[in-house]
Amino acid sequence: MAATQNLSDSDQSSVSDQSVSSRSGNRSIRVAEKERRKNEAEDPFVLSLKYFSDVKAGTPFHGNDKLEKNLVQVEKVAYSQGLPPEAVSIMLEFAMSLRMGTSACVRVLKCLIPASVVPQEAVVRAVVWLSVGKMPISTQVLFIKWVLTVFDMIDAKDQLRAIYGFIFNFVTDENLCPFICHLLYLLTRKESVRVFRVRKLLELQSKLGRQPFLLHLLSLYKVFCPELVTLSIPSRMKSGFKNHISPWKSALIAVQKRNGLQGASSNSLVFTHKDKTNPRKRKHCHLEFPDLIPALNKEAQSEQSSSRRVVPLVQLHSFAQLLENMHRIELPAQMGSLLGSSLALQYLDCVQDESALLRLNFWLGYAFHEEFLFCGDGGPSQTSEEALQFLNKLLSAQHFLQEGFSSSEVFLYKFLNVWDGSLLRPQILGLLSNIPVVPSSQIRRLLFEPLMQLFFTSSLFFKCGLMECLNNMLLKWLTWHSIYALEDDLDISLNSHTSINMTLSGFKDSVMELIHFVGRLASVGLQLEGCHCLLLSFVLDFYETVCDTFLKYGLPLIVMPPAGVFYPALFATDPVSVDRLAYIMHRYKVNLTSAKSQEKVTEAFHISRQTFREFNHYVVVMVNCLWNSRMFHPGMGVQLGEELLLKSNVSQYGSSFDLVHHPAFMSYAVNFHQKCWPGKKDMDLNSIKHSKPWSWYLEYLFTQGYDGLKHFVQSNISWQLKADDGQGDAQQR
Amino acid sequence: MFKFISGFSFSLCRYARDMERPQNSVARTPTDSIMAQRRSKNKSYRQSYRSCLGAASRLSHTPGWTARRLNTSRRTKSHNITEKVNPEDLALLVKTEWQLSYVTPLYQFRHTQLRSYSRQLSAFITAEKQQGLAVEVEGAQTSFRVSFSAVQGLGETDDDAETVLLQIHSKPVFAGKDEAQKLVWSGWLTCINGNPEYLHLLPKDFTCLPLFGSRGAENLTSLVKSWFQQTFDCCFGPLEINQTCLQWLAALWTNCHIESSIQHLKMIWTLPVEPPLQITYTVNSQDVWELWNSVRNPSLESREEEEAARSIDIEEVTRFMQGLKSHFYRHFRLDLSAGRLSQVSSALGSAKFSGRIKMSNSRYVLTTLTLLTECALLKMPI
Repeated sequence: MAATQNLSDSDQSSVSDQSVSSRSGNRSIRVAEKERRKNEAEDPFVLSLKYFSDVKAGTPFHGNDKLEKNLVQVEKVAYSQGLPPEAVSIMLEFAMSLRMGTSACVRVLKCLIPASVVPQEAVVRAVVWLSVGKMPISTQVLFIKWVLTVFDMIDAKDQLRAIYGFIFNFVTDENLCPFICHLLYLLTRKESVRVFRVRKLLELQSKLGRQPFLLHLLSLYKVFCPELVTLSIPSRMKSGFKNHISPWKSALIAVQKRNGLQGASSNSLVFTHKDKTNPRKRKHCHLEFPDLIPALNKEAQSEQSSSRRVVPLVQLHSFAQLLENMHRIELPAQMGSLLGSSLALQYLDCVQDESALLRLNFWLGYAFHEEFLFCGDGGPSQTSEEALQFLNKLLSAQHFLQEGFSSSEVFLYKFLNVWDGSLLRPQILGLLSNIPVVPSSQIRRLLFEPLMQLFFTSSLFFKCGLMECLNNMLLKWLTWHSIYALEDDLDISLNSHTSINMTLSGFKDSVMELIHFVGRLASVGLQLEGCHCLLLSFVLDFYETVCDTFLKYGLPLIVMPPAGVFYPALFATDPVSVDRLAYIMHRYKVNLTSAKSQEKVTEAFHISRQTFREFNHYVVVMVNCLWNSRMFHPGMGVQLGEELLLKSNVSQYGSSFDLVHHPAFMSYAVNFHQKCWPGKKDMDLNSIKHSKPWSWYLEYLFTQGYDGLKHFVQSNISWQLKADDGQGDAQQR
Repeated sequence: MFKFISGFSFSLCRYARDMERPQNSVARTPTDSIMAQRRSKNKSYRQSYRSCLGAASRLSHTPGWTARRLNTSRRTKSHNITEKVNPEDLALLVKTEWQLSYVTPLYQFRHTQLRSYSRQLSAFITAEKQQGLAVEVEGAQTSFRVSFSAVQGLGETDDDAETVLLQIHSKPVFAGKDEAQKLVWSGWLTCINGNPEYLHLLPKDFTCLPLFGSRGAENLTSLVKSWFQQTFDCCFGPLEINQTCLQWLAALWTNCHIESSIQHLKMIWTLPVEPPLQITYTVNSQDVWELWNSVRNPSLESREEEEAARSIDIEEVTRFMQGLKSHFYRHFRLDLSAGRLSQVSSALGSAKFSGRIKMSNSRYVLTTLTLLTECALLKMPI
C-alpha cells in the first residue's frame, strides 16, 4: 500500500499541472486538492496498479476479464511513456511471486519498461523470488535478461552487490550461467573476487570448455586479482557478452526518446575490451603502447592497499570516475600504457611518484632507441607508418602535458647526430621544440652543432621547419620562465642545501645563446636561399617572440636581430615583411622604454648600451630609408661609394627605398596616385611626397592593414604637417 | 655506433638528487605549499629548467656517463670462481650457447619472492599456451613448471644484484605417466661488475640485472620476456656483441692460453662485397700467443709483474688485432679492416655478432660476463 501512496505523490505534479492548466487556477487550494484526489482515484492506471498489488495468489489467469483489462491498461502506459519506479516495483513483485502463474509473469516481464529508474529493492526482492524454485527456467532467463537490460537504470547497486554471493550461486545452472556471468561481470568489485569463486568458475570451465562468458568474468577477476587467476583471451573471443536486450530494446529506446532521456543504458552494456585495430603481427612491437593492465606484485604496497581500497586504472571509464577515485588509483603494470589512453594521461599529469615516471621514461627511451638508433636491418623507414603513429601519439601526449619527457630529450640529442633531416621531419621537430632549457655550456654541443649541419645541408622547407621549431622552443622556455618567475619572485636558486644552483643568469645565458644561434642561422640561411620570403616569414616569427621577451615573459633580456636579418626584411619585396619588421621594431621600442624606466626604479637589471645603440641605429636607418629618402647617407648601415651610385644611373638613389619607391610599396603608390589624380596622364610618384598627399598616402597604407607601419610611425616619428616639407625626423633617444 | 653523449645520465642524477632531498615544508601558506608540490613534481619527467641546469653544471664531468663506455682496460683475474659459486649452478651456465638480450631495470623485483614468481610464470605460460582457458595461479599442477633460483656468489661487488636463474620443465605431450618432466628452456639475468655510478643512481625500487641469456624454444623466450615486461615494467632488446667486444674476447681468451690451452683462435670476418664474402681465419694457439706477447705493453710488465700480467689495455687489443690483420694481408692481399669481425671462438668459448655466447671454461665466466654487462648497460635508454 505504501507503494501506491508513493506513486500518487510522484504523480502529483503532472496531475496537478493538468488541473491547474485546465481550470482558471484561482480556486482555493483545498478545492484543488479535492479535485486532484478525485482525479487520481478515477485514474484507470492507478486502479490497475492497485489491482495488481492486491490480487490474491491463486486467482485464475485464463478467462479473467478483470485481469485482462488491468493488464492492458498497464501495457498501454508502459509502451507509451514507460512505467514509473513504483509501478515497476509492483508489477515485478506481482510477476515474480507467480501469484497468477507463469503466463502472467512472462507477459508482465515483457512489458516492464521503466520510465526513469528501477528501484534496487524491487530487483533484490525479485532475485530472492528467483530462488523459490517454482519458476520455469526460461522465465528465469527472461528475468535476468531484463535485469541486464535495465541494469544502468537501477537506482543503486550496493544491495545487489551485497547479495553477490547469492547471485553467484546461480552460476552452476547451465542455462542461467551465461546471463548470470554477465550480471556478475557488471556487479564485480575487488572484494567479490575470492579464491573459492575462482575455483568454482575454473571447475565450470573444465566442464563447459572455452566459453566467452566465463572468460570475460574471469578476465575481470584477473584485473582485480592477478595473483589468483591468469588467462589470455584469443582475439576471436574478444567480442564480449552477447547483447541480451532484444525483447525490450526498441520499446525502451522509444520510451526514452519520448521522455527526452538519452539512451545511455544500451551502450554501456556492451563489453568494452581494448580491441587491437590491427590484428596482424607487428614486426616491431616496441612501438606499441602496452595495454593497461593492473600490477601483479603488490607486496610492497600491500600494507597500504589493504588499509584502503585501490582502484585499477583500467576500471575507470570516465573523467568523473577518475576524479572520484583520484586518491586511490593503482598504477598499472606498465607505465607506458598511460600514454595510450587519454584518461590515463589526465592521471599522469598528477603522478608524483619518481619511480613511476622513471619506469615510463625507461620504456619510452627503449622504444626510441630500438626504433631509431639500434635498428639493425632495413632501418626505420620500413616501419615508418607505425613510427609515425607512435610519434604522433607521443606528441599529442606531450602537447597535453605541455612538456617533453626526459627520455625523448636524451634520445633527440643522440638522434640529431644521425638524422637525415627528412625522416619524420614534422614529428622530430615537434619533439625537439618540447625539450626543456639546455644549459648554455652544453647547448652548442648538444643542439647547435648537429642542427647547424642539418640546416645548411637541407632544403628550404627544412630551414623553415627548423625556424618554426626553434621559435616554439623559445616560446616554451620563456613560458616556463614566466611561470617560475611568478612562483619564485625571481629567486631561481634551488634549495640552499643542494650544492647545485641554477641562476637567472644561467637561464638568460641559454636563451641568449639560442637567440644568437638562430640569428646566425637566419642570416646565412637568408643569404643561401636568396632571401626567400617564406624563410623570411619564419625568421620574423622568431623575432616577434624575441622582441617581447621583457614585457610578455618578464625576462630581463633584449637581443636585437643581426644585420643579416634586419636588412633583408627591410628591403624585402613583399610589403608584409616590411610591415612585420616595423612592428617588431615598435615592440622593441616599447620593451626598451619599459625596461629603462624599471631600471631607474629598481635597478633590477641592466641593458647594455650596445643594445640601445643597435636599436637606435636600426631605427635611424629605417626612418631615413622609408621616410626621409636619405638612403645612402654617410653614417648609415649601407654605404656605397658616390661614383658607384652614379654609375648605377639611378636618379635620386636616396629615395629609392622610401615608402613610395620601395619595391614592396610601389604598387600601392601607383594605385594611390591613380586614385588621387585620376585624370593625370603622366605619373609622378614624387608628387605623393608633398605634405598633404603624403599624409593621405600614409592613411591609405594604414587602411590596407599595415598596422606594423602605423605603430612604427606613431612611436618613432614626430611628424606635423608643414607647408613646405611635410616630413618629420626620427625621434632619437 | 653513435656517439655516446652526456644526455642520459643527468636525468638520473636528478632523480637521485630529488629523492635525497628532504621535504622542507616550513610554515608555508596553503597556496604556497601547493606551489611547492607542483614544483617538486615538475622535476620529474618534465625537467624544469632549474633542475636541468642544476644537474648540468656537473654534466660535462659527470663520471656517470663517461664510465658508460666500454672500459679501456680490464683485469683478467681468474680467481677461483668454483669456491664461491655452487658448482651445479656454474655447470648450468657453461658449455651451452646463450642468446643475449639487454633488460632495462626491473621495477619491484624481489629476490625473496622467487617462489611466487615461479608460480605466476608457470600459470602465465600455461594460460598463454592454452588461449582462452583461465588458469589458477596457486593451482597445483600446470603443464609447465618454472623454477626461479638465485645464484649466490656470482656477483663481484656489493652493488651487483644477485644473478637469477630460470628453468622451465615440461612434460612432452605424448609422454607416459611416470615420465619425468624435461628441461625445455633455461635463462638467466645477471649483473657482474655493473657500473657503480649507474647502479647508485637508480632508485631503490629498481633492480638492475641488465644482461639476459636464454636457451630454448623461441616462443617460450618471448613468453618469459612478456611476463617480465608485464610484471616488472622492463623492456627487452637484442644485445649484439659488437666488434670491439669480440676483439676484447679474442684478446682475453688468448691471454689465458698460459693457464688453459685455447687450442686455436678462430675468427670469422664478413667482407662487404657482392656476393658477401665470409672468411674463416684460424690461428694456431702457439702462434697467437707469441703475437699476443709481442704486443703487450713492455713498460707495464717491468713495473709490476703481478698486476701487469693481469691487466689488459685497449691499445694492446688494437695492436693485437692489427697484427692478425696484417699477417692475413701479407699472405692473401686482403685487408680485413674493410670487413666486419662477426665471430670469435676458441677452446674457451665462442661469441657471435648476433649475440650468441658460449663460455666453455668456468674460470673465465666472470671476465666474460663483466664485459657483456658493460655492453648491456651501454644499451640502456637512460
